[in-house]
Amino acid sequence: MSQRLLRPEVIERIRGYFPRYPTRRAVVLPALHIVNEELGYVPPQAVIEIAELLGLAPAEVQDTLSFYGFFKQDAPAGTVRVWVCRSLSCAACGGEELLEYLCQRLGIRPGQTTPDGRITLEYAECLGACDFAPAALAGRVLLKNLTKEKIDQWLQSLAAGGNGQTP
Amino acid sequence: MPIAYIDGQPLEFRSDERLNGIEAARRLGIEIPHYCWHPGLSVVGSCRMCLVETGMRDPQTGKVAMLPKLVPACNTPVRDGTVIITQSEKVARARAMVEEDLLLRHPIDCPICDKAGECLLQDFHFRYGQKERRADLRPFTSRRRDLGDHITLFVDRCILCSRCVRFVREVAGTSELLLVNRGTHQEIAVLPEFPLNNKLSGNVVDLCPVGALGDKRFLYQQRVWYLKPHPGICTRCATGCSTWIEENQDRVYRIRPRENLAVNRWWICNDGRYDYPHLHDPRRLVQALRREGGSWQEVNSGGLVGELGERFRHCGRIGVALSPFLAVEEAYLLAQWARGLDPEALLVLGPVPVVGQDERFPGGFVISAEKCPNRRGVEEVIAHSMHRVPAFEEAVQAAEQGQLGGVWVSGGYRHEWIDAGTAERLARAPLVVVHDLFPSPLSERATFVLPGAAFAERDGTYVNRNDHLQSVRWAIRPPAGVLIEGRLFWELLGRPGLYQAEAVLRELAGQIAYFRPVGQRPIPETGFNLKVYLLAEAGQGCQQV
Amino acid sequence: MGQGGFSEGVTHVPQYEPVLLANVGKPESHTLAAYQASGGYTTLRRVLREMAPAAVLNEVRRSNLRGRGGAGFPTGLKWSFLPADHPGPIYLCVNADESEPGTFSNRVLLEHDPHQVLEGTILSAYATRARVAYIYLRYEYPLAMERVQRAIDECYAAGLLGQNILGTPFSLDVYIHRGAGAYICGEETGLIESIEGRRAWPRIKPPFPAVEGLFRKPTVVNNVETLACVVHILQRGADWFRSIGVPPAPGDLGDPGSFGPKLYCLSGHINRPGCYEGPLGLTVRQVIEEFGGGVRHGRKVKAVVPGGLSTGVLGPDQLDTPLDFNGPVRAGCLGLGTAGVIVLDETYPIVEFLYNSCRFFAHESCGQCTPCREGTRWALDMVRRIRAGRGRLRDLDLLAEIGNSIGIIPGTTICGLADGAAWPIKTVLTHFRDELEAYIRSTNPTGYAVSEPVPALDGPDGGPATPEAAGRKAAVCAQTDVLRAEMTSAALASPAKEAQASHPSTAVAQNGPAPPASSGLAASPAPGRETSGG
Repeated sequence: MSQRLLRPEVIERIRGYFPRYPTRRAVVLPALHIVNEELGYVPPQAVIEIAELLGLAPAEVQDTLSFYGFFKQDAPAGTVRVWVCRSLSCAACGGEELLEYLCQRLGIRPGQTTPDGRITLEYAECLGACDFAPAALAGRVLLKNLTKEKIDQWLQSLAAGGNGQTP
Repeated sequence: MPIAYIDGQPLEFRSDERLNGIEAARRLGIEIPHYCWHPGLSVVGSCRMCLVETGMRDPQTGKVAMLPKLVPACNTPVRDGTVIITQSEKVARARAMVEEDLLLRHPIDCPICDKAGECLLQDFHFRYGQKERRADLRPFTSRRRDLGDHITLFVDRCILCSRCVRFVREVAGTSELLLVNRGTHQEIAVLPEFPLNNKLSGNVVDLCPVGALGDKRFLYQQRVWYLKPHPGICTRCATGCSTWIEENQDRVYRIRPRENLAVNRWWICNDGRYDYPHLHDPRRLVQALRREGGSWQEVNSGGLVGELGERFRHCGRIGVALSPFLAVEEAYLLAQWARGLDPEALLVLGPVPVVGQDERFPGGFVISAEKCPNRRGVEEVIAHSMHRVPAFEEAVQAAEQGQLGGVWVSGGYRHEWIDAGTAERLARAPLVVVHDLFPSPLSERATFVLPGAAFAERDGTYVNRNDHLQSVRWAIRPPAGVLIEGRLFWELLGRPGLYQAEAVLRELAGQIAYFRPVGQRPIPETGFNLKVYLLAEAGQGCQQV
Repeated sequence: MGQGGFSEGVTHVPQYEPVLLANVGKPESHTLAAYQASGGYTTLRRVLREMAPAAVLNEVRRSNLRGRGGAGFPTGLKWSFLPADHPGPIYLCVNADESEPGTFSNRVLLEHDPHQVLEGTILSAYATRARVAYIYLRYEYPLAMERVQRAIDECYAAGLLGQNILGTPFSLDVYIHRGAGAYICGEETGLIESIEGRRAWPRIKPPFPAVEGLFRKPTVVNNVETLACVVHILQRGADWFRSIGVPPAPGDLGDPGSFGPKLYCLSGHINRPGCYEGPLGLTVRQVIEEFGGGVRHGRKVKAVVPGGLSTGVLGPDQLDTPLDFNGPVRAGCLGLGTAGVIVLDETYPIVEFLYNSCRFFAHESCGQCTPCREGTRWALDMVRRIRAGRGRLRDLDLLAEIGNSIGIIPGTTICGLADGAAWPIKTVLTHFRDELEAYIRSTNPTGYAVSEPVPALDGPDGGPATPEAAGRKAAVCAQTDVLRAEMTSAALASPAKEAQASHPSTAVAQNGPAPPASSGLAASPAPGRETSGG
């Protein structure tokens, strides 16, 4: 067996979820979230280790993981992962133009990470922030009523060393 | 008895039967097309090909109340009064829709697809599909993904019925296969470190309703419409799975499971599935040989039977090793012949190959550690004469100690089955006949070497480890020169006419108690369990007392 | 307003006293202290002391409360389907996977008044004899996640959750289960599968969750807003609840009416988007005018989504449709849905709406049932081609056929996602077929009348043509690429394996960047947003 990817503390965090559910399988999604928080992605080796921990076949964990499209597998997401909403309310208020604008500003397509590893850009189906359309979710922070100017400001705050987590 | 009505036809069924719409319709000869449903797998109801109209008939008034929407027949339990309509315009439209949907992204590469001819997508499209393509035209794509040693996936042909995924999870329990992604981006895959190499993996190819999963050994070897399927029994282990042996011009190209709920359900293991190359192995014995001094002389079959009869009649005490690869009839005839010449003939059970432990799968399938098909049947034949079942070693010892004047050893083994030391001891007997598929240390030392027939080349009856009896007929003709066991023994016995296994079976059933149930009923294609009948008889006997 | 704050400019319909949003907007409204200061958990204390679970169930049943998540199934009836003498465990799932475009009322409740939802959860668990409740919370609500978790912790500390709640024999554990971005997890059996750790493929029914749900045990799945309503029904009584809203249609014995308060989500081209509370049955016009302050820039309404994207659209002549459980149905929509009202003004091209809707449902189809998986994708492919200026009039007929044939209403799918995909298509064709035909004729003057199949817009791998989708597809391919590359190299490395095991040429060809479309039809970007994927 190659070197273990998941640190003991991570494994303990996952084990902490066992009492919540009558089956280990139910811990798949929590475990994927924990590993994703820890590593910024869930590489295949992590899938294998999670499966081992939960007594499942790795293919079953991979099956669940790939359904959601949320978990990256090839490389860690950037420091800030930003989802730009493209569903109806946001799109009707210019959300897709803003997504395109962000693509141009960052020089990447949705799903990609800037070469400096700071920003991963994604599109989202409805963020549930239609009252703030067009909206984006940057990490844990909702960016509301976006305009190109607000995007510029946000990018500047990031460039100035902010973590993008204060609006 | 409860009655359901399918397309207006009444179907009576037992109240303890649990049928779904597809199974019920099939009993009336009505086809409800389906992809994702399989009797051996969980019901997901996702392909939506089996949509039907359903309702309930009020037993008092006879009025039928129909559900307004279509439902999948696979998930429709049939109860008393259930009404199913498969012929309506609504059902036809739904089927055409599903067919059209499944072809939207399908490469439609039937001319180069192995499944063509036995493809459900093809068949159902012909029967239920649209007559024109209405969707946009797409360039041809053909992506291939290696899933394991035996199985390859043509990604673009997959219709996402998930049968294969359910099989590896529910029946094999190995869970190598997975679906990746969501919606139209879904594909079947394996993780690179965990390829699809379980011993039941070949079944996913049979399960695949389209040409997505291919068997690498069969791929591009033969068009399926040239193949003639024959019912067979797998002789690789003591489970005795029912099979289809599929051949063209006496060459076997494929072995597939034959449904037998009492034995193998719908599955076979890869050992049995790929158990045909030895049939066509150039090393097979195909010429009867007699040792003369230090060299071998070819014996033509015309004088052979007479010569063997003569030699054994005057050799003194006879020892016979009855191989567990012999059919019941063959073992019986050989025993009859030997005992006819020498009432004290020593009958022993030939070597029983055992490899490892039984392999059990979550779906109930068992690959037996005992790698021969008919130990139980041959034991009963031996016990009938000997009142016990002597082991092979007993014959070896007797030969070594000079107690046997002639030894007849039947083989049928695919693999090395006797070592040089044992062969040497056995060959102390002055007359040694070995009747086998391949050369062995014993054939090198024998007086006569007779080429035997392989499993697909013989008629006969086998009894598996659980006393389940099945009979089959030959599927292919053996190579020229082979002396088919039953026929040879029949001729040795000097019986008139042609050897007919079925008649021999009736005969022995009248003599050997264990086989008595055979004499009382026709043998179904899937056989029956002797123990069950014998226990039932015993039970009746007790009651009478 | 603070971060993630509640929408500006809250107004209420005159003479209506807000109940569900009563605390929202108050300082620190998400804390236990603030909730209790405004009377929170007094209902729970009283109910646990005075009422048997059956009495709670009965009161909710009597209120005719209908689920607020979209389908409008009577909550008390749903609870009563639980087997009466089941040894347990029984599970309660709180559906906080609010993903319906145009809907955000659950977010508002969870962020600003999580204790109201928790009190409803505890009361409902008491009534249904559930001992564990899972809150299925979508990943996109990080602030809600934080605040609900904090509220749960506060409840445990205050003896409102855990063993022997408030000193009674009743015990309940509540856990948050985070989603990962899949609309289908809002379908109750998809949600159950997701909690169980599988892909969220909705289950075939029967059996229904009340009989065999989470972990194969009896399970109730209720929406956040539904549970919030339970608090007020038990606080003020079923009669109070039934004094609000719209009574059953006369003569319709099967109609439980549309009673109680309702959160209306208002977004799109509107002056004051936000979440507003009113009685069930306000008209679309009332919601737009009185809550939303009218259409942005003084423009006219072109179309209104009455209850979240999946309900379809109303035309400008249907603004007096009442938003109760019957109103949108009578107006040709799927239903009340979530009462997520999206206003589109007269300048918005309807083809854009159709494209957005088709893209959403094709993206979110779980892929289990053939008609939904392939139908939503086919619809998207056609609309994308129409939008790119290569539409045919025949496409509209095919779209109508798809819209009329997929879903649980015709019975061709397991769950209702396909109905949600169908209704926007159907209603757009009802109200705006002229506009679409004009668009097709003007953008494709030489080809609009063609009825033979035409080349698909997208690349040979069937990949999406939009730039953002190309990004996703690339990510997906990269993932399977790994599999294929490794398997192929393994096969090549082992001479024992048959040479045919790998076709590097075919394996590689489809994984490169999407090649340009064939036959000189390389995507010319539509007026609007698409650019070619290269």
